[in-house]
Amino acid sequence: MARLFPIRHVMGYIFSLVLSLVALGVIYWDLTFAAAMVILIISALIQASLQLVLFMHIGETDSKKTLYLNIAYAVFVGVVTIFGTLFAMIWGY
Amino acid sequence: MKINDTLPLEYRTEENSNKIFGFWLFLGAEIALFSTLFAVYFTLWNRTGSGPTGKELFEVGGVIWETFLLLTSSFTCGLGIHAMRLGLKKPMMIFFIVTLLMGLGFLGIEITEFVNYVHEGATLQTSAFLSSLFVLLGTHGLHVTMGILWGAGILIQVGRQGFTPETANKSFIFSLYWHFLDVVWIFIFSFVYMKGLM
Repeated sequence: MARLFPIRHVMGYIFSLVLSLVALGVIYWDLTFAAAMVILIISALIQASLQLVLFMHIGETDSKKTLYLNIAYAVFVGVVTIFGTLFAMIWGY
Repeated sequence: MKINDTLPLEYRTEENSNKIFGFWLFLGAEIALFSTLFAVYFTLWNRTGSGPTGKELFEVGGVIWETFLLLTSSFTCGLGIHAMRLGLKKPMMIFFIVTLLMGLGFLGIEITEFVNYVHEGATLQTSAFLSSLFVLLGTHGLHVTMGILWGAGILIQVGRQGFTPETANKSFIFSLYWHFLDVVWIFIFSFVYMKGLM
């Protein structure tokens, strides 16, 4: 039974639950908008990395450099899309 | 056919490693897709017109359950792949069935939520905020629906054929997809619900 539940996976799962609880905290704690966003961004990024590295095994083969580069490029495109849109539509240009 | 025994079963033929690599490229495109939907939502989230705001609409209870179910299903999906690498067919199938059932539970809560929104007069046409919200959540929910159908199909094949390079490859690629859906949900949870309820 124990070998079906490797400790790395169990720890990763518990850690993601804890991070979700931390993110949940922003609606109960009295935080400034900036502080809350910092907490949300950091906890979401850690959780996403946990999934990639631990559960998706991104680094297990020789092509890991290409895979990381691919994800990094996709995230770059995503960040440019989101912040570029906000820059043009909301922040006023 | 060149077979590399040092790698897990799902990678061993060149075709199969290429399929896994290709699926990672697809996930990169999915990141771009969801980014555009988030960009629309972040632009329109306070354009609520005469409709409700996120703070009035969102209910934290359902969201916590959805998050818990999806996180746990991602965990059991990972355990399924781990069992597959140990060559244990029955545990792998049980973990995958649990994964898919939790996916169904997630969908049930999400659909109930949508029905409640519509009953409160918050429809796709009510405001720009609601249009962007329904499109973002709906696209994720559609991915989960497809994943459940896809995973069920793979389970049938694993049940019939056991672990072959093909079924192992398909199961692993499905697991990548399922974990990715959890990643997208983490961002929806944080930047739609938590930010909206703050």
